Amino acid sequence: MEIQSVEGFSKRDLEKALQRLKKSIWVFHLNTGSCNGCDIEILDVLTPWFDVERFGIKLVASPRHADVVLLTGPITVKALPRIAKALRAVPRPRLVLAIGSCAVGGNIWFESYATMGGLYNVLDMLQESGITIDKIVYIPGCPARPEAIIYGVAVLLGLVKPKSHYRKVKA
Amino acid sequence: MIDMVKFVKVIPIASKVGTVTIRYPYDKPLVTESFRGAIEIDPAKCVGCGACTRICPPKALTLVQEGNTLILRYFVGRCIFCGMCADVCPEKAITITKEFELATDQIHDLYTDVEHELVECERCGTKFVAKKLLDKVKSIVEVLPEDRAKLCPNCRRLETLSRAATPR
Repeated sequence: MEIQSVEGFSKRDLEKALQRLKKSIWVFHLNTGSCNGCDIEILDVLTPWFDVERFGIKLVASPRHADVVLLTGPITVKALPRIAKALRAVPRPRLVLAIGSCAVGGNIWFESYATMGGLYNVLDMLQESGITIDKIVYIPGCPARPEAIIYGVAVLLGLVKPKSHYRKVKA
Repeated sequence: MIDMVKFVKVIPIASKVGTVTIRYPYDKPLVTESFRGAIEIDPAKCVGCGACTRICPPKALTLVQEGNTLILRYFVGRCIFCGMCADVCPEKAITITKEFELATDQIHDLYTDVEHELVECERCGTKFVAKKLLDKVKSIVEVLPEDRAKLCPNCRRLETLSRAATPR
């Protein structure tokens, strides 16, 4: 049987796929040079204390089984090819939760020669190499609280409207 | 045989402890007195001195000059919630809130801008300081050389030197 890769993934297809993804999302944890603070918080979310399995969220070991990638860390230069490899294996729609200050804006390493300074800076690079990320939710926090991560998942699935928005005030 | 029923020991312990899971979206999350969340800048109090931008470890607070305005830009996506900006602010314009539900799908939602009016140098026309900061300094300093207050640092230096060089 010939396997066809899905190249053309229209907006309508994406909306359809997102509608189907309301419950029981499977997550894959991808550390890209994180200090392990956010990883411990992700572990916290999976424990019986916060118990995300009541929402059907389950940790899987392979990106091929995953709906959502939990990305932590500022994306070091060494980790970049591995991230591309892991993200390529995720089936469409490709959803990413960028957890922690590092994954969002690079944290204190945003100017370093050894890191890419967050996921936002590598999006174009990934797009050029054929990896389209359909939706990203940025979760700030150093580390992000377990509640903040659960809130981020709710934002990703469209269950709540994000609270923060751009503000411009005159002094 | 004994090994097989070892797990039975857990049952009385589990029934004693009961359910520990917190119902996060419905229950209030545990936020203690010392918890630090996103900061909030009071635009009425901020003078645009930039003390917070110098202390900020990840440069989440930056001063950007765009045309005639000086913008104090706060990018919460890079903030490490250390609270040093609130400590160092001379006007106490920065307060630490308990907000942590900051997740959003658009990265520009994470920015907050505070716009300041700039003062133009009377001689060369460079914009060098926020108007509010100049007014603040004027109100604090008793003996202020009024004629040189509205000159940029470079012009002020030249002016002072030329006055010292010319004999009276």
